[in-house]
Amino acid sequence: MKQLITLSVNGESYQVAVEPSITLLDVLRDGLGLIGAKKGCDLGNCGSCTVLLGGKPVLSCLLLAVEAQDKDILTIEGLAENGQLHPLQQAFIDYSALQCGFCTPGMLLSAKALLDENPQPTEEEVKEAISGNLCRCTGYIEIVEAILKVAQSNRGAE
Amino acid sequence: MSTSNLGYLLTLPRFNYLAPKTIDEACSLLDKYGGAARVIAGGTDLLVSMKKREISPQYIINIKAIPELDYIHYSHEDGLKIGALATLQSVASSSIVKDKFGLLATACKKVGTPQVRNMGTIGGNICNGGPSQDTVPSLLVLEAKLKLVSLQGERVVPVDSFFISPFQTALNQAELLTEIQIPTPPPRSNGCYQWLTKITAVDETLVGVAVLMTSDSAGGLCKDIRIGLCSVAPVPIRARQAEELLRGKKIEADLIEQVAQVAADETRPRSRANYRRRMTSLLVKRAINEAWQSIR
Repeated sequence: MKQLITLSVNGESYQVAVEPSITLLDVLRDGLGLIGAKKGCDLGNCGSCTVLLGGKPVLSCLLLAVEAQDKDILTIEGLAENGQLHPLQQAFIDYSALQCGFCTPGMLLSAKALLDENPQPTEEEVKEAISGNLCRCTGYIEIVEAILKVAQSNRGAE
Repeated sequence: MSTSNLGYLLTLPRFNYLAPKTIDEACSLLDKYGGAARVIAGGTDLLVSMKKREISPQYIINIKAIPELDYIHYSHEDGLKIGALATLQSVASSSIVKDKFGLLATACKKVGTPQVRNMGTIGGNICNGGPSQDTVPSLLVLEAKLKLVSLQGERVVPVDSFFISPFQTALNQAELLTEIQIPTPPPRSNGCYQWLTKITAVDETLVGVAVLMTSDSAGGLCKDIRIGLCSVAPVPIRARQAEELLRGKKIEADLIEQVAQVAADETRPRSRANYRRRMTSLLVKRAINEAWQSIR
């Protein structure tokens, strides 16, 4: 039986009619056209479906859409503000931290959540924060570097 | 390993969705629907099973709206009380858990990935009841108790009687795990959790060893030792024979070697048995040394 639910995504409110058995990932992609979150493994192993729920990284493929009501959801589409790339997005470009880009939305959101909570992470802490986001292209080195560079420039700005 | 009969598509089977707001409401629903219902907390184990079509419950009861199930309370007399809905991340990062029950914080931090820890709950990890649940060896050596609630009332079950066989626990169909109760360890105690994974750093545990040790006031004798193991038997176990060897004795390298070997002999691994036994012995030795040295 379909239920009418309200989802708050990237600061906007969306009303959707969903079966309880549909995941947040499917609603984002097929219902709302927000295809930044990816369906990689659909089983919670790869992290390419990562979105932020209340500021915390979660796997949208393992969340029922009905469970995500009354929460603030941030997808990659909400990272840039007023057409301006987030410093992490710019750093990923500047430091070649992406190739095919499939893992990148999830990776950026995990990185954002890390820096929001821990603005000056160690290299170990960065690696731990992205340990739930698999990348098959880069080997992770540039990704870690990009995140550390953003942290560094934040420190410089203080 | 079962696969969805839809090939590569991992859509969930359909179900009726219920979201009780109180423990009583949840228990009524469990009583009413029994075996046709499953509780969802973090969903990181349940939804994966459902996607693989291993189970297809008719009713899913989402308990996350029940506010009184998410807490971490500590007092010296009553010990640590953790609500079943406390996320693995909240337990792993809790300063009181890190300070006084460090091995449990380590174990919770080991589970899954940051995303899984933000969603998954300690109650869910315990109720999944698998042989490799990382939180259980620590709960075994801390001699934790589990509060189970139903319409008939509540009962408190020690962790070491909770696990019956792989993925089968003492939780009956109409019951809800609400609280994990952990007594304050005796003075001059400390513990640790050591593990090896199957392949990657965020993978399933291949061998998990938790140790809690208590020293006598002079600091020379091992007054008490408890060893908890996961992934090396059908359920997580205590290595009680190994513990007996060391209890009340002076810590010596040769004795630790023996204790580690006896612990390995107590295991009943199903697969990669030889390697698991050898690694049990190695990790028990390391865990005893780490725990002993950290007692203050």
